[in-house]
Amino acid sequence: MTKRPATLVEKILARASNADSVAPGDVVWAWPDIVTVPEVSFPAYVKRLRDNGIPKLARPETMVVVIDHEVPVHSKEGAERNRLTRQLAQETDVAHLFDGEGITHPLVVERGLITPGMFVAGADTHTSSIGGAGAFAVPFGFEVTMIMAIGKIWVQVPETIRIDLTGHLAAGVTARDLVLSVMQQIDADFANYRVIEFGGPGLSNLSVQERMTLCGLCIDMGAKTAIAEADAVTERFLKDCGIEGVSMERSDPDCVYAARLTIDLAELSPRVSMPPLPSNVSTVIDLPDTPIQHAYIGSCASGTLAELTAAADILDGHTVHPSVQLLVIPATRRIHQQALEQGVLTRLMRAGAVISPSTCGPCFGGLAQLADGETRISTSTRNDSGRMGSRKANIYLGSASTVAASAIVGRITDPRNYVKGGSVK
Amino acid sequence: MKPYTGRCWRFGDDLASDEMIAPQHVFEYDPKVLRSHLLEGARPEFSQQAVSGDILVAGRNFATGSIHSHPFLALKDMNVALICQSVSRGPFRLAIYIGIPILIAPASVIESLKDADQLEVDFSSGRIRNNTSGQVHNVDPVSPFLLEIVTSGGGLAYARSITGPEGVPNA
Repeated sequence: MTKRPATLVEKILARASNADSVAPGDVVWAWPDIVTVPEVSFPAYVKRLRDNGIPKLARPETMVVVIDHEVPVHSKEGAERNRLTRQLAQETDVAHLFDGEGITHPLVVERGLITPGMFVAGADTHTSSIGGAGAFAVPFGFEVTMIMAIGKIWVQVPETIRIDLTGHLAAGVTARDLVLSVMQQIDADFANYRVIEFGGPGLSNLSVQERMTLCGLCIDMGAKTAIAEADAVTERFLKDCGIEGVSMERSDPDCVYAARLTIDLAELSPRVSMPPLPSNVSTVIDLPDTPIQHAYIGSCASGTLAELTAAADILDGHTVHPSVQLLVIPATRRIHQQALEQGVLTRLMRAGAVISPSTCGPCFGGLAQLADGETRISTSTRNDSGRMGSRKANIYLGSASTVAASAIVGRITDPRNYVKGGSVK
Repeated sequence: MKPYTGRCWRFGDDLASDEMIAPQHVFEYDPKVLRSHLLEGARPEFSQQAVSGDILVAGRNFATGSIHSHPFLALKDMNVALICQSVSRGPFRLAIYIGIPILIAPASVIESLKDADQLEVDFSSGRIRNNTSGQVHNVDPVSPFLLEIVTSGGGLAYARSITGPEGVPNA
């Protein structure tokens, strides 16, 4: 019997649920290969399980606990939460505890815990970013307690929306601008309960880190998650993370997609998300004059070495506008060290940036809060009112290049005039 | 699962999670407290008058916005079940996890269910009997998988029911 043609995610879910095949709409039990939980949730989850008479984790070998939201700790509650996290991680035998080493999603990829084709479950919303490395990575919020208890979770097999990429991004245009363009084409009603799959010849022109930005932010258009096909770029990147030989499984050519669209990377221009939603997108050149007082480069979506380097390239020979605070936070301690060794941080600091240790911090308002009436351009994940402090502050989201150019000018600025070979068309 | 027999509490499209329980109560997790705030802005009489077995019927995009467990904890405590036209992934999973029976019904069925109608709803089979209008509708029930979790009393109760004495699952 010939098998029904399957999408990549259907293949991953069939394997993870020990089934021959699965079809969209099926509800299956699936066993995650990796389960990630940050410290803001872990002690509360363990307590909830213990209160419900479940003292042991079913598959501690799959568990990754990360202290990343409040690093270094700066509250008594946080200090107690971290102490408990360390204690409970030991008591429950979780396989990995990362303590202040960086933000979960880039960290688990960097440390070689992720291979293409894995099913990853996370407590954090932006778990989808791990899809950039070719895994099916899904946020489950506090349902992770169920996975901790029984090692499996029910999953409704999603339909897939396929996006074929062609061409190269122009100088000054980034993966952020690509995902914001996707948000302009796909709304939440259409994306709901669907997975977005990226492939096509243009994908090979995006690094794994750029694919992580892309997949991470797809959650904010309402998709279940997103995944980038693994290819030679993935293989090379993961080799540096200690992984040899990766699965290059793809969707079958005649599989059924819910929709299929093509995006030419060369056609894209810088974009920002305007308050109060990531999906409220405008091209930068069409944005009304927008003065800023704060600029932030960091988060799981953008704190990569490539983004920091792109920002440094733009800031070279310039200084941050006197009325702007530029904060830069590398996503992991390893990226921080690499940026230090390569002189990237020196260049950023010379221009006036302040550098902080790796943490989620400002992205959810845990650090560097905004006051009433202030405006920040940020590379982080969401811009809901009040997310970074005052509900009367405005948050715009863009790439590190857009943030760097804006920091120089003091207003949201198209970065293409600040990069070699770039031009505002 | 025994059918729910009770009053229809009818709401429209896009009934936001924050409208069901105001965001100022996000640090409150006691269901007894939460139920007193449930829908207090939209339908102040709901928390006083709704009783066990009643059914909240909503239109498209039920519990939109913040993915908060609070409205579901309150509904569970009141033993009020759900029928809606559509719901996104986050709140649908929460309903199952908290252990609330739910049916997804087409627009024509939702429209025929009026506020204060007396309903008899079998969540296992998907049969909705409207004792006020006399109409009977049959819709697709949720997967038996999910019904089993709901019948157990929610995700953690289900988990406990399949874990052995040492806490190690025998599933």
